[in-house]
Amino acid sequence: MKLDGKIALVTGGRGGIGRAVVKRLMNEGATVYAADLTEQGSLKKHDDDGSHFLKLDVTSEQDAINAINNVNEQHAELHILVNAAGIEIEKTIEQTTLDEWNQSFAVNVTGTFLTCKYSLPLLRAAAKSGNTSSIINFGSYDGFIADPGLAAYCATKGAVHALTRAMACDHGPEGIRVNAICPGYIDTPMLQSFFEGEGSGADGGNIESLQQAVRDVHPMRTYGTPEDIANLVNWLASDEARYASGQLWVLDGGLSAQVQQMRF
Amino acid sequence: MKLDGKRAIITGGGQGIGRGIVEAFINEGASVITCGRSAKPASLPSQCEYVTLDVADPKAVQQFSATQQAPHVLVNNAGVQVEKTVTDSSDEDWDSVIGINARGVFNLCRAFIPVMNNGGSIINIGSISGNVADPCMALYNASKAFVHGLTRSIAVDHGPQIRCNAICPGWIETGMLEAGFATANNPDAALNDALSRHPTRRFGKPSDVASMAVWLASDDATFATGQLFTIDGGMTASSPVNPGLF
Repeated sequence: MKLDGKIALVTGGRGGIGRAVVKRLMNEGATVYAADLTEQGSLKKHDDDGSHFLKLDVTSEQDAINAINNVNEQHAELHILVNAAGIEIEKTIEQTTLDEWNQSFAVNVTGTFLTCKYSLPLLRAAAKSGNTSSIINFGSYDGFIADPGLAAYCATKGAVHALTRAMACDHGPEGIRVNAICPGYIDTPMLQSFFEGEGSGADGGNIESLQQAVRDVHPMRTYGTPEDIANLVNWLASDEARYASGQLWVLDGGLSAQVQQMRF
Repeated sequence: MKLDGKRAIITGGGQGIGRGIVEAFINEGASVITCGRSAKPASLPSQCEYVTLDVADPKAVQQFSATQQAPHVLVNNAGVQVEKTVTDSSDEDWDSVIGINARGVFNLCRAFIPVMNNGGSIINIGSISGNVADPCMALYNASKAFVHGLTRSIAVDHGPQIRCNAICPGWIETGMLEAGFATANNPDAALNDALSRHPTRRFGKPSDVASMAVWLASDDATFATGQLFTIDGGMTASSPVNPGLF
């Protein structure tokens, strides 16, 4: 197993992608803390997966301090930090209220900032063993090219990309690698909400035909699964990735390799 | 092992990055065939089959492919560099760099895509120099940008049967890198400056690139296609402004 003996903290650890990440890291031998707003997270139910649950609102500085203190008391080090907590407001700038804008940045950007900030001493402690420690942020292919009606989301993901590079520069010399995974369309509650939202198939259209059309745009002719993302998290978290830092890893079935397609 | 039962063709596996990929693939259980323009290097692992082949020669590549069973993985690694600007480059430089780095990748892909089965993976070795320019490497930079563009085209045209990705290495310790520092006015200062531009404070090794290639060839990467994966110790994440200025 690749991650034997490593300690990992996953924010959004009971969400669509976060849950698959938690499961994979545990299968690879890591001790995993799944942090989320509730034990159930964004899915309808949660079966016990053996991870340690930490109640965490990533927008709260005190919550971040408490969650990381909890890891500190148990282990005094942290090898892997995965910032998978995120929200998506499906609106243009004009439709987005200031509260929604601020909430997007609070979760996607400030949340990443807070957990990174308070985890750094534990990540440094883990890197003292001679191996690197690894922060894995969640950017998005939307941080490079825009999906319509997701303005605040695209902006927050661009911010995560830049934060990832900045932290790689600052903390690389301390043995801390910082990367971001930029998923494309992944089958999660967030994606289903996007399909059912205003301007999508629910507007009198057929959601299934809309989903098929989106699948057909992909060179791989399908969406990704949370497990596809967990495969890359596992590699970036492992010592095999010891030279990988400061990068944005797009995983989207080839979607963003294409120029926009002419239809009909 | 991650590549058990997979057959891989790796061009230019005699030395440097290609050699690192050959060794990593063998360690993960793949059967490996490599090629080069010279005779078989004596130090090559004995399990590795070797063919003398100039990838720039389309007829020779077609003849080679006719003798091979369908590979699961094709790694287009063979490459040369000529350190010249456009105005200094000769027609012979063009034929050599574009012939091997660009036409060679095209030749191998054209020969093997029709016979590769569902789930095949093509891994091209691009370069950070295909995204941002290294000085006095005009034809090399352009040839690597060609590789990046061809990688996306193959992913789009030949998915879902075949995945195609490129790895863009940064400064990797092969003979080429050390030779570059030896020609500097002050080799020690040049070396320290280059290291300070790497957040990891070291250069890469062929095995660093090879571990990415193993992942892209493996069944862990079945959703990864059409992409360029940079592995450079964080160098291109940093501003190219000289760190000595701060």
